[in-house]
Amino acid sequence: MKKILLFLLALSIGVSNYTFAQSRKITGKVTSADDGQPLPGVSVKLQGTNQGVLTDGDGVFSVNASTGQVLEFTYIGFTSQTVSVPSGNFPPVRLKSDTKMLTEVVVTNGYATQSKKAFTGSATTVSGAENENKPFSTPIQALQGQVAGLNISSNSGQPGANVQVRIRGVNSISLSSQPLYVIDGMIINSGDLSRLTTTSNVLAGINENDIESVTVLKDATATAIYGSRAANGVIVINTKRGKAGKTTVRFDAEGGITNNIPLPKAGRPLTADQYKELFIEGINNAAIDNPTTFNATRVASDIASYVGGARSNDWYDLLTKKGRQQQYNVSINGGSENTRVFASAGYFEQQATIVGSDLRRFTGQMNLDQTISKRFSLSTNLNFSNVDQNTPSNGGAFANPVGNVFFLRPFQLAYNDDGSLNSSRTGQTNFPGNFNSLYIVANDKKHLSQTRILGNTQLKWNIWDELRFTSYVSVDYNTLEEVQYNNPVMGDGRTAGGRGYDYYTRYFNWLTRNQLSYRYNVPGVDDFYIDATVGYEAQRSKGYLLSANTNLFPNQPSLIVSAVGATPIQGSATISNYTFDGLFSTAGINYKNRYSLSGSFRRDGSSVFGANNRYGNFYSVGGAWNIDQEDFFKIQNVLSTAKIRGSVGSVGNSSGLGNYQARPTAGYGVNYAGANGQNFNTLGNVNLTWESQIKYDLGFDLGFFKDRLSVGVDLYKNNINGLILNSPLSRTVGFTTITQNVGSMRNQGIETTIKGYPIKTKDFTWVTNFNISHNANTVTKLINNAPVVNPQNTQFRYQEGRDFYTYYTRLYAGVDPANGNALWYTDATKSATTSNYAAAARVDTKQADPKIFGGFNNTFNYKGITLTADIYYNFGNMVNDAAWGYYLKDGTAFDNNKYYYIYANRWTTPGQITDVPRYSNAGVNAGQSSNFSTRDLYYGDYIRLRNLVVGYDFKNLSVMKKYGINRLYLYGRGTNLWTKTYDKRLPFDPELGPTAVNNLDVYQVRTFTVGLNVGF
Amino acid sequence: MKLKNYIYLLLAGTITISSCGKEFLDEQPPTALPIANAIKNESDMADAVNGMYSAMRSTLFYGRDIPVLGDELADNAYVFSSNSGRYLQEMNYTYINSNAEASNIWTQGYYAILQANRIIYAGGQLPATANSSQLRGEAYAARALCYLQLVNFYGAPFTVNPNAPGVPLVTQPSFGDAALAKPSRATVTQVYDKIISDLDSAFTLMPTSGVTGHAVNSNYIAKYAAKAIQARAYLYKGDYANAITAAKSVVDNGGYTLSTAANYVAYWASPTAQTGKLETIFELALNNATNNGTTGLDYIYAQAGYGDLLGYDALYNSYSATDVRKNLFLTTSPTKSGTVYVNNKYSNVSNANEKDDVKIIRYSEVLLTLAEAYARTGDNANAVLYANQVAQRRDPSFTGFTSTGAALANDIVNERRKELAFEGLRYFDLTRLNLPVSRPTQSRTAPIVTTLDVTSPKRILPIPQSELDANKNITQNPGY
Repeated sequence: MKKILLFLLALSIGVSNYTFAQSRKITGKVTSADDGQPLPGVSVKLQGTNQGVLTDGDGVFSVNASTGQVLEFTYIGFTSQTVSVPSGNFPPVRLKSDTKMLTEVVVTNGYATQSKKAFTGSATTVSGAENENKPFSTPIQALQGQVAGLNISSNSGQPGANVQVRIRGVNSISLSSQPLYVIDGMIINSGDLSRLTTTSNVLAGINENDIESVTVLKDATATAIYGSRAANGVIVINTKRGKAGKTTVRFDAEGGITNNIPLPKAGRPLTADQYKELFIEGINNAAIDNPTTFNATRVASDIASYVGGARSNDWYDLLTKKGRQQQYNVSINGGSENTRVFASAGYFEQQATIVGSDLRRFTGQMNLDQTISKRFSLSTNLNFSNVDQNTPSNGGAFANPVGNVFFLRPFQLAYNDDGSLNSSRTGQTNFPGNFNSLYIVANDKKHLSQTRILGNTQLKWNIWDELRFTSYVSVDYNTLEEVQYNNPVMGDGRTAGGRGYDYYTRYFNWLTRNQLSYRYNVPGVDDFYIDATVGYEAQRSKGYLLSANTNLFPNQPSLIVSAVGATPIQGSATISNYTFDGLFSTAGINYKNRYSLSGSFRRDGSSVFGANNRYGNFYSVGGAWNIDQEDFFKIQNVLSTAKIRGSVGSVGNSSGLGNYQARPTAGYGVNYAGANGQNFNTLGNVNLTWESQIKYDLGFDLGFFKDRLSVGVDLYKNNINGLILNSPLSRTVGFTTITQNVGSMRNQGIETTIKGYPIKTKDFTWVTNFNISHNANTVTKLINNAPVVNPQNTQFRYQEGRDFYTYYTRLYAGVDPANGNALWYTDATKSATTSNYAAAARVDTKQADPKIFGGFNNTFNYKGITLTADIYYNFGNMVNDAAWGYYLKDGTAFDNNKYYYIYANRWTTPGQITDVPRYSNAGVNAGQSSNFSTRDLYYGDYIRLRNLVVGYDFKNLSVMKKYGINRLYLYGRGTNLWTKTYDKRLPFDPELGPTAVNNLDVYQVRTFTVGLNVGF
Repeated sequence: MKLKNYIYLLLAGTITISSCGKEFLDEQPPTALPIANAIKNESDMADAVNGMYSAMRSTLFYGRDIPVLGDELADNAYVFSSNSGRYLQEMNYTYINSNAEASNIWTQGYYAILQANRIIYAGGQLPATANSSQLRGEAYAARALCYLQLVNFYGAPFTVNPNAPGVPLVTQPSFGDAALAKPSRATVTQVYDKIISDLDSAFTLMPTSGVTGHAVNSNYIAKYAAKAIQARAYLYKGDYANAITAAKSVVDNGGYTLSTAANYVAYWASPTAQTGKLETIFELALNNATNNGTTGLDYIYAQAGYGDLLGYDALYNSYSATDVRKNLFLTTSPTKSGTVYVNNKYSNVSNANEKDDVKIIRYSEVLLTLAEAYARTGDNANAVLYANQVAQRRDPSFTGFTSTGAALANDIVNERRKELAFEGLRYFDLTRLNLPVSRPTQSRTAPIVTTLDVTSPKRILPIPQSELDANKNITQNPGY
């Protein structure tokens, strides 16, 4: 850390040296004419010379000049001014904002930037400043609720977990629906690249504080330039760049704790007394239901062995804890007109509240922009990061601590009488089944070290004023070192005598792009221009995957690498590569910012497609009419902006397609009698190609009261064709299916964003952003029009005419008040019930993806005191307990702890109206009442206070001046402080990802932190 | 505009547009070859032959399902009352067209046939050398073996109705659009004709002593292994004259020998392949590196594994006290009380270094085929001669067969049951002879139906539903 600071210091010194010509020293101050605030970084130039300076953080400049000489003040977004040097004091300079320039907000798609006015597509940009310092391990999490149409959910609270992102709904059945990520022009390998780790995310290596902006590209105009990879939308991240002017140094620190989001009351595990009561009731009922098996001897011995212990412990308390949360970031920004630098270093640490789950990250960023000459400029970016992550297993794994909150009984004892960790496997007060998670955490290892280098260099050559050539090359280099060790005493390694895995995974991904951009300004008319771009791009990603695994370890907790194991199990390596290349072009015409037309075309090819269909063409056309630029618009003054835009285009989805799955091949590895063997085992399909999508978008942008309030509405429809599905084959050909482009699906929806400054006075401002999105997904074509039970998630069945994530299960009809038996409706008509689970038909019922979601984000500022409250909401879906709910309800899995709701509501007396069946280890309910049905579906609606910040901005504090501090901001923050849910039965947190299934993942955390931003 | 500018533009334009060649998009998989280039020489061919055997070795085919059904559908093996839930429908003949094993054998059988077809096709493009002929011969013989298995599971026995639908005859590899074919079923006769001719091709192609890479070794099909399989095919077909010719050819020229009685248990206990032509003519290799693990044939029989399948008491009692084959049973189980008869032919389930190979055809079967074919064609003397070779070797106290005619043939069939128990062949002796299955009374079994009448549609397996769904040209067997 110290070294990095010194390095930054050295850099800052290096870039702030200037020399000046000898003359009288003139000192002055530049402020904004609008609000009187000082303007730092204004270029002050002595007219007719090459000499010039920039204003400092207080807008102050000093320059050597003689009386009568003219100083020229230029600053982006402001009208230039010239002032001649008087004989006396230099007068204050007040620059007026250039309204025309300010409307030139730009939208960038990674290939080109366009002014907001001329832009015909649908894209939302979030300034990086909005999400700085938030205690999220990936920058994407911070975007939740900030962008209409962007649905983000984390199904795990593991720091560094992969985040499920959907832009305008699910786009595919067998491929990925995750968007394409582009960082500083580079199309990166995204998602979870690990192989042993439960969940990880490449984006954990990106520091929020290094981000200048995140742009979410949604429609055809915005995305089609990405061709066969654009269908899921694109998230473009640009990092901060150096600005000419006084070098500023910024230091941010935040620290605090992570805490549990309390489990919903319905989902709390039972206390020892409650569990004991339920257990005894269950086994006594079983003795009535099945007196042969549950005879008096068995009942007595089970009660004694399972719940008869004198000691008990609370597994939720044992396995959860308060964690540490901290981050430190330091950055410098500055440079001269010709050389501009942004550099940063950061450290981030988060511990989840469950044992064995944490993340530590170092990041560094170095961006340099160099103007070489009038015609040439060079930019380089370099991002370095290392993420260290410990991740427990999830789901039904015996080692999963989240599962063991329930799977372990209060009477299973974590510690021996002498205080040591209990590793005994015999007896019901010990661990014959699930493991003592505390012992596992203390003795096993599940560690990921992910190191990433993302760098690029871009050369711009302005061949002449209208024509620019850009050459770009980038490398995205990821290495993942994974170590898994399972001790020989207890847990997954026991039967193997201990086992160790060492996996090394490397992705070397490079991209090169050359493009020519031309802009022709029609002479004599302002803002009438034609622009065009043509370019070529090639990309190759090379994966190298090395796997080693040995068994039989000595009982030496510190010796865990696979070299220690006595029995070699695996030592092998393989590779996984893909390439893309594309010819692309865009063209646009803009008439006085009134009418704008744009189009794009890309011819894309990829190694992942079948040989016959390796290349495809993708296009978009869009148009916009800025009504506010029309003369007639000026007759009113309520509306300040009015724009209508529309676009249509074709894009593709190839994300998640196997690198080699289209190729008919004979694979090796089918060895026989100690010799190599090959089989024709991949049928492939030489015609296989991307899933295609036609995107339609119609948008309206309205600004009221001088754009104090703006409203944006987008209506869209995405028709997806050629969904990749496995069509059944006659098995006589030797294969069961062929992968073909055969299915269809549709997403349509509406997005609305309202934002602005409802209140803006001298002392008080309120900035708000409210957005709401609705998406409706419909599967429209499947093989033979036949419904398919989702093979990955059998709680769903997809079929034509319905939402992709439609639950397909039996309808729970509650409990028979007479005898406490669980009842199900026999079919969808709900006309008859049965107590026989198997006799009830499965029916299509509600959906798992939300109908409505969005955010309501507010910042209030009163005399330097800021209050920020970000709210996220999600409505219209059902979340489910299909994965493990079976064990956590009723008497079937009587040796597991239960949800409190079960305890509190179980049927006990004839006539009792309840929805929880009679609790018995045997009889008609056992073995079926906890089977998956609509009983395991819960309303997934929730509203959550994601982020709450109260801070104070110290201004003009004399002590600050003394130490050269020009900004000091102190704040306190809480995340996930409050969640409102709408189902009293809901036993877990409703944020679960697209499949909405509770898979016993690491709990989401609530953080309390205090932070400090200092600027020099 | 200056000339210089045009030059710049041209330069920039060239850099921009110049694209990589087509080969840039040709990323080759690291562990597989393009199918068109997969077999270019004899070495590739040998790899493909190994792959073909691997496909046959699968749990879904010879690795478990076929040998289990061959004994369980008949009267040799039953599923114990407490079990792992496997092979229950076969116990009470309740299988329908969604039955897992019916789907497994069909699907995996044609997968293995695809591999054989590919070798036959590609081998035909290579120069005919001893090596390529040997390997191509193995593919022909393996294809015949697979078809013989399939036609007997899914079609009526030849001896019952030779004109009944058999199975589709696919003899070309499914390259390109061939994978979309929807073939209909050939008749049983057509399938047998192909089996016989494939085995003739194999026998003709293969050198007597094999080749360097595939010297005669029980893990590979040798010249006389092909002839032995042909003897089985003729026997199943009821073509006893040809069965005699084929079996006699193996006996006279094959060079195979039977183990001594003293060594017979050790022969079974040894998991390694035979290189001296002892007993085993062909078996599929399993070893410590490549085996079927908990889904293997050994695991379903062994009491250290699932131990679901046991031998009927009546089978055990059919061996005389001095019969060495009695020693291939264990009579107790650590997981089951009382006396049970555990097949111990696959005893290496816990052996970390080697695993039991799956026996496909043994020399004793050929001798018994020869004997039965003689008996059924009225040559009692030769029938007794060859039947005694097996029976007296296994039971040195046995004084020899004394019956004649039909009774002798029946005795030989019983000898086959005793000799080939738990090798997956018993059921086909009953079906080819159109005999009912009468399972012995046994106290602790999974739900069981003890008789399978000759008229029952359950004598043959259903064509799997998945095949019917994908192939409109296929017809289902009656009764499903």
